[in-house]
Amino acid sequence: MRLAIFFLFLLISLLPVGLAFAQPSEGVTSVDQEFDDDFDQEFADDFLEEDDTPLISDPLEALNRRIFWFNDKLYVYLLKPVARVYRVVPRPARKSVGNFFANLSSPVRIFNSAFQLKFGDAGRESSRFFVNSLIGLGGLIDVADHYGKIPEKDEDFGQTLGFYHVGQGPYLILPFLGPSSLRDAGGLVVDMSLDPFTNYLTRNMSLLEKAELKAARAVNYLSLDDDSYEKIKRDALDPYLFMRAAYAQYRVAKVAQ
Amino acid sequence: MRLLCVCLFLLLTLPAYAVSATPQEQVKQMVDGVFAVLNSDLAADLKREKISGTVQKFLGIESLSQRTLGVYWKKATADELNQFMPLYLKILERTYLNRVDDYSGGKVEYGRERVKGDKAILDTRFVSERFDIPVQYKLVEKAGTWQIYDVLIEGVSLVRSYRSSYNEILRKDGFDGLLTKMENKLAQIEKVD
Repeated sequence: MRLAIFFLFLLISLLPVGLAFAQPSEGVTSVDQEFDDDFDQEFADDFLEEDDTPLISDPLEALNRRIFWFNDKLYVYLLKPVARVYRVVPRPARKSVGNFFANLSSPVRIFNSAFQLKFGDAGRESSRFFVNSLIGLGGLIDVADHYGKIPEKDEDFGQTLGFYHVGQGPYLILPFLGPSSLRDAGGLVVDMSLDPFTNYLTRNMSLLEKAELKAARAVNYLSLDDDSYEKIKRDALDPYLFMRAAYAQYRVAKVAQ
Repeated sequence: MRLLCVCLFLLLTLPAYAVSATPQEQVKQMVDGVFAVLNSDLAADLKREKISGTVQKFLGIESLSQRTLGVYWKKATADELNQFMPLYLKILERTYLNRVDDYSGGKVEYGRERVKGDKAILDTRFVSERFDIPVQYKLVEKAGTWQIYDVLIEGVSLVRSYRSSYNEILRKDGFDGLLTKMENKLAQIEKVD
């Protein structure tokens, strides 16, 4: 009972924090005829016809393509069929499972926001974690986003390294995990150690059980996805090249946020 | 009737002003046109056809091709370019028309618009129950209208992604190799549909 009162108190005291952050962080809808210094830069390479530099270096392309092939088969013949069957579970329930896992890994985002001195983001992620854990039934419901308009902001150690101007290094395709880079793969290892709740919950699991949990999480994620990989495969002349270009740009954009 | 008036007005004022619409108005015109078709009761085939017509008006296929080919734009012969452009347009069209069936509501919110000379960047968001995706349009002014030459979705540029892949194919297999790959791809896509 006393615990409940404590939580209620915590909740009430934290709500204004969440709401204070709830204002949209960027001002939009104003027509701005002026432009920043980065305006020209954003155009720069579009008009440089000499620009032929690759978006990311790929010295291990031959090996990467093999792993890409392996991941493709894994996806097409195992994960996706399972995800398709799993879609009998109503979407809101699957969404909740995704929310639960995402909420558990909040510390990763909080730490990495703080590492990048983005204390506003760290605060928002913290309030999200408290609000969703307490009101959102242990993270099953993303109350902070729905009612507080505080969406999740993805931060990881790869982005933190990028923030401190560490380049992506060579492109890597990781078995099971997909597109990455030397920097981001290293970041992944750090992020695992920054994930205390997930680590705590899985402390008694064998390696195989942990792998199964990861696979379950992946299946849940795929069940919510609109076949985006299939679409890339259908539309791109060379899906490997297209995904590499998209990954490199996506990560640059993430670091810039 | 009102539309007719607007059209007439645009037509009359076109020669007077070099640029009749701002980039945002131009993009909005296209987006509204596409949404109108999407929300209509037309059959999927008809929807695709109408959307294709609407979008094509606003795309600068030459600018798009030029940026996609990069270094190879100047190296290519006129004949190669004449083969490339319609193929590329078809591939791009397939890519977004295949998304037509996925559409399940949503709206576009317009954000910052930046204009400098004959270039513009427009920030928008596609917001629906399930998504909130930043979409940025890059436009270039050609013959009095703003033409879209690149779309960035969550920071991933369409043109840059295509350029990166196409340049690699061009480097390895030359222009003929690229054209063959494009033709094969189109045949493959059309067979599936």
